[in-house]
Amino acid sequence: MVPANGPAPVSEPKTILLVEDEVLIRLVLAEELLDAGFRVRQAANGDEALEILQSSIHLDLVMTDVRMPGSVDGLQLAAQVRAGWPQMKIVLMSGHLMAPPPGVPADLFLVKPYQIIPSIEKIKRLLSGEGT
Amino acid sequence: MTGVDPTSSAATPMQTVLVVDDAVLVRLSICEYLRECGFRVIEAANADEAIIVLQEPNLAVDVVLTDIEMAGTMDGFGLAQWVHRHKPGLAVILAGTPARIAGEAADLCNEGSHLAKPYNPQTLLDRIRRLLAERKTLSSLPPSSP
Repeated sequence: MVPANGPAPVSEPKTILLVEDEVLIRLVLAEELLDAGFRVRQAANGDEALEILQSSIHLDLVMTDVRMPGSVDGLQLAAQVRAGWPQMKIVLMSGHLMAPPPGVPADLFLVKPYQIIPSIEKIKRLLSGEGT
Repeated sequence: MTGVDPTSSAATPMQTVLVVDDAVLVRLSICEYLRECGFRVIEAANADEAIIVLQEPNLAVDVVLTDIEMAGTMDGFGLAQWVHRHKPGLAVILAGTPARIAGEAADLCNEGSHLAKPYNPQTLLDRIRRLLAERKTLSSLPPSSP
């Protein structure tokens, strides 16, 4: 039973793939997500993320920065995730865009710098099917 | 990681291991295991990321566990040398498969040898705990008189 108000609890650990090329940002985000009760898998770029996605590791949500070096940026990664894993929730993060470009799949878009706690609550709601 | 009960001997809370490995699935696996063992784990995908972490004044790292062969500007040996220059006293465990570099590692690694990959979880855990215990013992000793 989810209370009408207040933060949505994480009833069972959901697994988030966090994709961020800036190590200190990735560290802070990962620890906030761990503290919130999620399991967190970390990737330093889109290529690492695809390697994890193509493994047998279970994931519930991909949370990715948009602008990253490597062969796959966050927008391309989101498109590949939606095509290959259509049930996977996708959260995009950007310090440069105010909204996802047309046609780019995203269940949630976070503009950096963002407040981490409200963002985590949005992710919880997204994973519980309540919408954001 | 199987065959080891990670809760059998819990780590002291908040001891931090910096894991440096450019093979994401290896890194992910070992980090997950170390977290289950009670460590705070910081992940770095290469030596450059590790140095950024080590230069951050608000982050206290107790042990660096680094792969030897890594892509990028610096391999595990280079990172170990950087640590010894800039963070003297910080424990470093070098991990790798090539037997030919084991001897070289002895000069850099606090344990006197490298850790073979694929990791044996219990061996790794024992190595980290032993290093931390040694550091604790050393830090509790009174300074030697001149």
